[in-house]
Amino acid sequence: MAEKTLLHIDHLKAGYATKAGFVRAVDDVSFSLRRGEFLGIAGESGCGKSTLAYAIMRLLRDNAAIESGRIVFDGTDIAGLDERAMNGYRWTKMAMVFQSAMNALNPVLSIEEQLVDAVLAHRDVSKKEARGTAAEMLELVDINADRLSSFPHQLSGGMRQRIMIAMALLLRPDLLIMDEPTTALDVVVQRSILQKIQELRTKLGFSVIFITHDLSLLVEISDSLAIMYAGKICEYGPSRELYAAPEHPYTKGLMSSFPTLTGPITRMGGIEGQAPGLINPPPGCRFTPRCSSAIPLCSKREPALVPTSAGRLCACRLCGGML
Amino acid sequence: MIKDFLRTLVQNRKSLTGLILLGTLIFVALAAPLLAPYPPKSDRIERTVLVEETMGDPEVISEEYPDKDVEKSVYSVTATKTWEKTVTYFPLRSRPAKEHLLGTNHAGNDLFSQLIMGTRISVFVGLATGLFVTLVSLTLALLAGYLGGVLDDIINFFTNVFLVIPGLPLMIVIGTYIPMHGVLPIILILAFTSWPYPTRVLRSQVLTLKNRDFIRASTMMGERTFFVIFREILPNMISIVMSEFFTVSLSAILAEATLEFIGVGNITVVSWGTILYWAQANGAILMGAWWWFLPPGLLIALTGTAFVLVNFGIDEISNPRLRKR
Amino acid sequence: MKYFARKLGMLLFTLLISMSINFFLPRLMPGDPAKALMDRMEGVDAEKLESVRAAFGLDTQDSLPVQYGKYLLNTVKGDFGISLSRFPMPVSTVLASALPWTIGLMGLCTIFGFTIGTLLGIWAAWRRQTKLASFTVGFFTFIRSFPYFWLGLFLIYIFAFKLRAFPLGGAFSIDQARGSARWWLSVLRYGALPAFTITLSSIGSWLLMMRNNMINVLAEEYITLAIAKGLPMNRIKRIYAARNAILPSVTGFAMSFGFIVGGGLITEMVFAYPGMGYMLYQAVNAKDYPLMQAIFLIIAASVLIANFIADIAIMILDPRVRDGAK
Repeated sequence: MAEKTLLHIDHLKAGYATKAGFVRAVDDVSFSLRRGEFLGIAGESGCGKSTLAYAIMRLLRDNAAIESGRIVFDGTDIAGLDERAMNGYRWTKMAMVFQSAMNALNPVLSIEEQLVDAVLAHRDVSKKEARGTAAEMLELVDINADRLSSFPHQLSGGMRQRIMIAMALLLRPDLLIMDEPTTALDVVVQRSILQKIQELRTKLGFSVIFITHDLSLLVEISDSLAIMYAGKICEYGPSRELYAAPEHPYTKGLMSSFPTLTGPITRMGGIEGQAPGLINPPPGCRFTPRCSSAIPLCSKREPALVPTSAGRLCACRLCGGML
Repeated sequence: MIKDFLRTLVQNRKSLTGLILLGTLIFVALAAPLLAPYPPKSDRIERTVLVEETMGDPEVISEEYPDKDVEKSVYSVTATKTWEKTVTYFPLRSRPAKEHLLGTNHAGNDLFSQLIMGTRISVFVGLATGLFVTLVSLTLALLAGYLGGVLDDIINFFTNVFLVIPGLPLMIVIGTYIPMHGVLPIILILAFTSWPYPTRVLRSQVLTLKNRDFIRASTMMGERTFFVIFREILPNMISIVMSEFFTVSLSAILAEATLEFIGVGNITVVSWGTILYWAQANGAILMGAWWWFLPPGLLIALTGTAFVLVNFGIDEISNPRLRKR
Repeated sequence: MKYFARKLGMLLFTLLISMSINFFLPRLMPGDPAKALMDRMEGVDAEKLESVRAAFGLDTQDSLPVQYGKYLLNTVKGDFGISLSRFPMPVSTVLASALPWTIGLMGLCTIFGFTIGTLLGIWAAWRRQTKLASFTVGFFTFIRSFPYFWLGLFLIYIFAFKLRAFPLGGAFSIDQARGSARWWLSVLRYGALPAFTITLSSIGSWLLMMRNNMINVLAEEYITLAIAKGLPMNRIKRIYAARNAILPSVTGFAMSFGFIVGGGLITEMVFAYPGMGYMLYQAVNAKDYPLMQAIFLIIAASVLIANFIADIAIMILDPRVRDGAK
């Protein structure tokens, strides 16, 4: 398989216009995604990860918008495309799985209708054929085809989420963005869903951007990890290495925030304080008030995201980002 | 929380406009006797002027001489006062003029004064009904929603039953049976037909709040029912209670005008509705007397718009999605 | 099925309550109800007194429950007694002459108003940034503040009196032979202003309700997903947004319809349109209690049945209601 770059985000800025000012939830974010790669994006609530997902999918509307930057998908910058051109990408090249399947499914349409209309919107096939594709997809996520006539409220949470995944994969997209898809489910169901995603990835070969605030989920299944804080990426790298040896103080703090299942019982860490507001962010490194390694320079100069070893990036003075 | 709510209400442009409008109307209602040029039911001006006062000559009635040095006389003097009384009857069904800004009606009453004095009745009936109904429906909603059980079933059931019975025909039927002395019967009839809708709305809000975690926590901490209701639930219901108050007041004003217009209400009272009743009874439209029937309608609409604006503001405060970007 | 049975039960019970109101209202007045009513009229005619008694089931020999039972039976049979103002015509005959006019007028106006109002509401929400949408919303809000009857008066003044484009009142031209083509044309012409009044006033409620619903629905996540799926905008607007937004409107139909019927009655009064409304107006002024109460009952029954139909419609449109999930 060619190690070609599928997605390249280049200095992307996006946010929301409010009465008080522009909330820049995505503040100069850049990264690349290879074909078939699984990238996990982790960060606390409000760090901008959902906005990033919506921006990539070009789903920002009303007062939310992309401010500047490029989203290069398979060689084309889709950041400025009009809706007609975007339609060529929607669902056929890139699809999304939302957090709450109950809210994302239309309550008055049957599952069949919702799956079929996605197919019919992009493929010139008959309804019968579309139905066949839908049934096929449901089989892949272990759902019986006779569920096609059901309505969303008649199904369990786990089933609904699997239907969302099936719906997203209907047209065999190259990229699947998943915005906290398992947050609303219990741990057992979570695990089965994650296993299913792995299975399908092996079978169909799509890339995944998996967004969550729960780092423990990502460590096992993702190839790479990006840690976001206050609208910026503060650390990036292969997940095994990042997990074993985090470099950014925030990542270190996150790692110490959940207990390990094995090994001696150690005192839990955690990070005090709150993330800064994103309307007029303070100068310098945004993590300064909560950082135990901060020095006065940190609140004056913002560190750049620099490479620290093969494939790893870090934005901190400790990684040489201030030079 | 109440202060915050009021402050936001004043900041919102729509509700501010509504409140100013409402304030003006209430001011007019209160100051009506001072603002109206003539008493609303009078059809004339009487002016009595003293023209002449003459004193007659003293007339001796008796003279007595009780003693050689004492004289006692009794005099009588008559005084005549002449008065001139000018009665200016107002013209009947006249056009607007300097003396009568909106002309006069069939009985010669000044329509402008009637309009101003009518503000009292119309605004009062509207607000009084609104207040009464809001209190009653809030009580019912709290009883049904919070206490639940059989009480809830009964209240809910009757609310649903009376909710669908059409209000206006019911009002008319009841109104023709009850003797109309003053405005209290009208207020009661209006209340009787408007209580179901707010009760339903408020009850559903109480139910939503009751299931919120902070109420559950409060109950689990052992807070007494009264405490929970007054300190926890009610403050969170302010915006919807106010919204219902204005909605009910609006419909009360419209309903009162409608009842008066048909003639079911008390037609001796001067309100915007009765002005229209007499206008219709005297064929004002056929006379082309737009000054007779246009102003009361406009004022009703203005009052209605004031209430709606305030409600818009309240809506936008509680549902930010409706706000302008 | 349970839903259907429950709604049917409510319909029947509410009808019973309405009939009971009719039964008990005259009895709440002190003294002999019939006599008390007659005292308010000029001239106590023995024959009329008897008919009033009979109409209210006040044949004094029976006990109250028996009176009640007889009254209910008569009402269900359609026997409302004799009209006092059109003595000796039975009330049911009087009603039969007025009913078609009201059904025609109100029926058409409700369909028009609901359709136009809902469509405008969808448009106003979809294009809410535009000035035209804001203006439309403001305009109809303002119109809604006017009492129905006043709006009618105003329109009569402008279009009938000043412009002489439409007649001042009535339902048809008396110059034409009844049933002829010209006569039907006159029916349209005479009905234009009243229909316009009712439709204009009622559009406002449908518009505002639909607009609010649409705005709420458009913020839902399933709309975002529909956009992400790349579905055509038309489908999103119709099947994803409007289909969901209309549900509260249909539910709210119950409340609005009663109000609109009231408005329609008033409009008839203003235009002297010979439907139930105008008949009620005349009955009130003539103190024709049997007729008045019968009209109330028919109107109440119509509104209740319309609500029942709306309830069935919701059952069809919303799969959650079908399963009793709501």
